[in-house]
Amino acid sequence: MLSRVAESLFWMSRYFERAENTARFLDVNFNLLLDLNNIAVVDHPNYWSPLIMVMADPKDFSRHYQEYNAHNVTDYLVFNRQNSSSIISSIGMARENARSIIESISSEMWEQVNNLYHYLQSVTPQQVHNDPYIFYKEIKNASHLFQGITDNTFSRNEGWDFVQIGKYLERADNSARLIDVKYHMLMPKRGQHLDLVKNSVDIIQWMAVLKSCSALEAFRKVYLSKIDPDNILRFLILDRTFPRSITFSICAAEEALWRISGSSRHRYVNNVDRLIGKMDAELSYTTVEDIHQQGVHQFLEDIENGLIRIGEQLHLLFFAYHTPKIEPTDASEGLTFTGMAGGRANWSQSQQQQQQ
Amino acid sequence: MTRLFEHYDAGPERFFDEVISKEGSPRGHYEKMMRRFSQLSVEDIRARRQLMNIFFRNQGITFTVYGVDEGIERIFPFDLIPRIIPSPEWETIERGLVQRITALNEFLSDIYHDQKILKDKVIPPELVLGSKHFRREFVGVRPPLGVYIHVTGSDIIRDDSGKFLVLEDNLRTPSGVSYMLQNRQAMKRAFPVLFDLYKVRPIDNYPQQLLRTLQEISPTPKAEPKVVVLTPGIYNSAYFEHSYLAQQMGVQLTEGRDLVVNNNKVYTRTTRGLQRVDVIYRRVDDDFLDPLVFRPDSKLGVAGLINAYRKGNVALANAIGTGVADDKVIYSFVPDIIRYYLGEDPIIDNVETWLASNPKHLKYILENLESLVVKAANESGGYGMLVGPHSTLEEREKFAEMIVANPRNYIAQPTISLSRHPSFFNDSEIAPCHIDLRPYVLYGKSPSIVPGGLTRVALKRGSLVVNSSQGGGSKDTWVIDI
Repeated sequence: MLSRVAESLFWMSRYFERAENTARFLDVNFNLLLDLNNIAVVDHPNYWSPLIMVMADPKDFSRHYQEYNAHNVTDYLVFNRQNSSSIISSIGMARENARSIIESISSEMWEQVNNLYHYLQSVTPQQVHNDPYIFYKEIKNASHLFQGITDNTFSRNEGWDFVQIGKYLERADNSARLIDVKYHMLMPKRGQHLDLVKNSVDIIQWMAVLKSCSALEAFRKVYLSKIDPDNILRFLILDRTFPRSITFSICAAEEALWRISGSSRHRYVNNVDRLIGKMDAELSYTTVEDIHQQGVHQFLEDIENGLIRIGEQLHLLFFAYHTPKIEPTDASEGLTFTGMAGGRANWSQSQQQQQQ
Repeated sequence: MTRLFEHYDAGPERFFDEVISKEGSPRGHYEKMMRRFSQLSVEDIRARRQLMNIFFRNQGITFTVYGVDEGIERIFPFDLIPRIIPSPEWETIERGLVQRITALNEFLSDIYHDQKILKDKVIPPELVLGSKHFRREFVGVRPPLGVYIHVTGSDIIRDDSGKFLVLEDNLRTPSGVSYMLQNRQAMKRAFPVLFDLYKVRPIDNYPQQLLRTLQEISPTPKAEPKVVVLTPGIYNSAYFEHSYLAQQMGVQLTEGRDLVVNNNKVYTRTTRGLQRVDVIYRRVDDDFLDPLVFRPDSKLGVAGLINAYRKGNVALANAIGTGVADDKVIYSFVPDIIRYYLGEDPIIDNVETWLASNPKHLKYILENLESLVVKAANESGGYGMLVGPHSTLEEREKFAEMIVANPRNYIAQPTISLSRHPSFFNDSEIAPCHIDLRPYVLYGKSPSIVPGGLTRVALKRGSLVVNSSQGGGSKDTWVIDI
């Protein structure tokens, strides 16, 4: 498989997953407002700023908007084209990557990316405000449909594995960010004993975190109705069966990598294998107590940084073949690669080609 | 509810109408179709057209219009009324094009080797050797099978008497074949019933034939030579076509950065190392192919590709330097070229052409700018062109200056009354619109043509320019057995 094609598959998948997660976070926040309407002041910055902290850069947000409220945050995370993580930008990038490999993916996959892209061009902010539920549902369903189409029309070869890696690395990253921010919000005082977090507002908020990962029902099956922060951490970080937990996502990405590099558990053949295997092993032998000992924030931040390193190594090993000079400029930014590196540079020349 | 064709007026006799004869009745091969369409209303057509537009848009079958910052993606307008060519007419076109392409290939082979045609003074040497697309670097290089022009698309028009003429040859990277294929798909969806009425010759095997042609020119004999398509990338206006052809042939679509030359051999960069390439169907212009030989600032090409080609380690389709033969000045000599190499008279004639580089012609051109079409010798896509009868005095003065300053670069032709064909115009009526025809000739071991081509239609009122960049659309083109 061409390195460029592998890279575009990876990023196409990643951007699609990102758009879905952004839609989930926004959707749940709107729902939360409805739940809390009677108990607390809801269009308060405290309910909206965390979303920006999870999915984007607060400094960049402040450049465009004065305050954190439903309208501004929705606008920034859904429609703002200057925000490279907005839903419209993510789907635009997913489509651009798909377009550059249109002959390598199934035409059904392409049609689905394209459909969503055109749908987004036609939606107005007013429509989203009037009926956020319908809009976010549309995005989530479009993403599920895309994954279903991919599962059913795309050959199980290397390309499919790169699609899986993109999806699961992004999901692990997004889940880590979400838990990090929500935990921070809901655990204001350091050292406070967890049992104290019991009042109904907090419970509802924790339920919202679960809902945004479609995890509430699955969680209840394991922990019944004991919505307690430790159980939630255990479920969203360490559960090996729930498809949006961090550990599950890491393992799924790891398995796809094994298929590509021909390695297996306990045997790594390259740096990507080694890093992701190490992360899998660490998560396998970690308890919630260990997480608390390290500090939840620190623990999640280590995971986020680990994912960034995995992304870099993946890039060097499979995508930047023979062009090692394309290296990340700033590892801390994490999402510096877009899959379209170099593409833009060809813009003007590729237009100059005479069409006979 | 307005019935279609109720108000159709084939118009003045100076245009040949493809459907309605001079006597005012439908031509024999159009009768069944006319009857079918007469049962439909404008609303029916409009509804089906909207369906087709959604079909094209969802599939991403679009082209990009230049000059806008991000590039605007447009749907290539598709006209639902098909153009029908009965088989006897088609056979003339087929024989005429095979003759023409065979002669042009001989010509290319000659001017890149012995240059006999120049020594015999059939064409003034300065016109060939001074052509912008003549590649001195390739004199003496023999491409596999001696074939230069593997994929060509010559534009054919009909004059007021209905006679077929070649308007221009496209011997570098002719585009549009994907629209030919997609139009057929769209037509089958929109009017399946029509296909029961006619025996339409299939064109769907074009991608397989293209692949076979490309594999035939592999420099190294192999069971499955590795073919790739080389595209300038997603920002190119014909990107859809490049990806579509690669997908239909089942070969990789590559950009310059996907290829690397090592020891004069070409490889793709893959996730598992380098893999050898035998044939490149390139849709990148000569100038951008290799920064070491041509434009050093090219980001689209592959460093070292030309040397690999010279060494015979990779084949390029089309070969380098073919543009010299579709230069509009050389075009005027094609009938002589056919006579010189094949000893035959041309089966399809040229459009009468005056060369500004010939002093007598120049005088005629300058005196008759108002009635002529002036074209730059090496432009395409409808750019760099003056349509005399539709021009302003200012435009004519500007062109006169440019012609005098650089006569080698200009030719002039009478304003041809392109034939017309009923088309769904302005989303509201059936009107006669000017059309042309571009069949695609493949040339590996021997030349062949899929029965059909791209019929382009000028959908602006009165416009004679059918190029997509200038507001043209296209029709499905049926070659039918009668």
